[in-house]
Amino acid sequence: MSACDNCSVREQAICQSLCQSDLDELSQIGRRHNIASGETLMWQGDKQMVVGNVIEGVLKLTASTADGRDQTLGIVYPSDFIGRPFGRKSSHSIVAVSDAKVCTFPRSAFDRFAEGHPDLEHKLLQRTLAELDRSRQWMVLLGRKSAAERLAAFLLDMADRLGSRDSNGQTRFELPFGRQDIADLLGLTIETVSRQITNLREDGVIATPDRRGIVVLDRDWLIDCAGE
Amino acid sequence: MSLMWPFYPELLDVPVPRYTSFPTAAEFGTDVSAGDFTRAVESADRDVSLYVHIPFCEAICWYCGCNTGKANRSGRLASYLEALHREIALVGELLPATARVSRIAFGGGSPNAITPTDFVRLVVALTQSFALADPVISIELDPRTLSKIWVDALAGVGVTRASLGVQTFDPALQQAIGRVQPAELIERCTDWLREAGIGSLNFDLMYGLPGQDEPALRDTLAQAIAFEPDRIALFGYAHVPHLIPRQRRIDATVLPGTLARFRMAAVGQAELVGAGYAGIGFDHFALLGDPMAQAACSGRLHRNFQGFTDDAAPVLIGLGASAISSFPDLLIQNEKNSGRYRMMLSQDRLPAGPGIRRSAEDRRRGDIIERLLCHGRADLGHSLDPETAARLEPLIARRLVSVEGTYLVVTELGLPYSRVIAAAFDPYRHASSRRFSSAV
Repeated sequence: MSACDNCSVREQAICQSLCQSDLDELSQIGRRHNIASGETLMWQGDKQMVVGNVIEGVLKLTASTADGRDQTLGIVYPSDFIGRPFGRKSSHSIVAVSDAKVCTFPRSAFDRFAEGHPDLEHKLLQRTLAELDRSRQWMVLLGRKSAAERLAAFLLDMADRLGSRDSNGQTRFELPFGRQDIADLLGLTIETVSRQITNLREDGVIATPDRRGIVVLDRDWLIDCAGE
Repeated sequence: MSLMWPFYPELLDVPVPRYTSFPTAAEFGTDVSAGDFTRAVESADRDVSLYVHIPFCEAICWYCGCNTGKANRSGRLASYLEALHREIALVGELLPATARVSRIAFGGGSPNAITPTDFVRLVVALTQSFALADPVISIELDPRTLSKIWVDALAGVGVTRASLGVQTFDPALQQAIGRVQPAELIERCTDWLREAGIGSLNFDLMYGLPGQDEPALRDTLAQAIAFEPDRIALFGYAHVPHLIPRQRRIDATVLPGTLARFRMAAVGQAELVGAGYAGIGFDHFALLGDPMAQAACSGRLHRNFQGFTDDAAPVLIGLGASAISSFPDLLIQNEKNSGRYRMMLSQDRLPAGPGIRRSAEDRRRGDIIERLLCHGRADLGHSLDPETAARLEPLIARRLVSVEGTYLVVTELGLPYSRVIAAAFDPYRHASSRRFSSAV
């Protein structure tokens, strides 16, 4: 039995359409590993590049600019494919923002496999298009002017990717990272993030039943807050 | 009526630039460098358009004057794309946050010589480096290598404008220029592109091909019109084998002469206008609902390195080997040789230069030339310098242009002489030069 048989994202991940023998072949070059929150999966400038599936947890893609600023390029969630590397060294870092589990492949071996499997090549295109959509959404989010809009858009995104319905039919999710991480991701201060969450709670848009839990009480209002 | 155009071979036989920029690339020199490019990008603070050059094709056509090579080695293609990604990252860092990129054009070569996934990766990189939200994206496509998966990629990216290199529907002429593509192929590509959401589809067509006559051109025009492309660009084939060695494969003995070329240009004008296309400048045509025709109607048409355009952005940044960037006070071209281009970017050096700084006088003359070519009239403002006036005199005498107040107006008779008229304002053109193609 291969590790793929009980993979929790198999039905959504890029390997979904592969037959058993192809899956076994891909499994041979794949490596599953756990990474702790804050750990780096791949460094900017790395020559050993990997692509792969997120199985659990949340990771961020970041790049340092020439003047030393750190810029977040996007967030990846379970079943997302991390497939962006191009060229001989990585143009960005991939850092876990929560404890995470990933299944990675050396890029060169994966590219060789994809070339021989047209189905996978089509899937790879679809995944790259999905990355493009995420990049565009992230750029729109960062382009929003007010802190309130940015935070609301970010909460909406997480509710869509991580949320599940609770017994009252409301969307609930656990924040995968702390408020300082959110502040860093959105280019805000931690005080601003805390104040905006408090505002949303006092307005009855969201509830915060415990330290990490978020319940979306009024999705339409949250959409309004995001300026969408 | 365009078939009444008067024929003046002595004007048409003098080679003139296409004026896709002013000054033209012939004036580029080595006194500008990457430092000028860096300063120009850093001071761009409004609308910016991007041009991305993919200098590869699956097969090289004999007539083509583009900077392109065969995409026959995937290693060469991959290292070019790596350099292009590096250039995108470097230039993206220079561009101020106040600049807004609203258009990207992919040209070549044939952008579809790379894999569709590599194309989407490029768009992802551009999105991140230039903080793109919802740009208008256009692309040039080779119908012979357009696959369904490529069209899926175009739809997924949201490309809305495409240009197909059709050139001619005549099988014998296709053989003569080394570009065989049956009409069924064009039909399939057109259907795919329409389904994929391409709202503005252009066909590139050519006249003056080796062995081409008027009936062959009429037949190609009729077949093209039947596909209802939103735009048609009808270019005269420029035979300059001393500049483009691959054209030596073309049999020069059967090339149409100046009069035959002139008549073909007139046939094209008459047939396309008769079919409901608006004439745009001197070699483009567009259906009335297309943004290009609307720009022409409202005086917002412009000229850039791809021809006529409705793009009004004051800054165009060219990415990729040989791509030209245009700023109000600077024109600058990237390294043409893709090996040197790759080498410079592997050292994180911007590959910009040569080029030319545009003086206030260059800009004034460039504006007049652009207005004349795009709209057939230009306000000359203050009095003309004696040299320009002398060059215009024979054109006015032949009633190709007329003076109306402070305006110079290209008459109906003068349309095929547009480039000749524009050249009167170009002080860099002295004696006859063999660097350019003839005006029709």
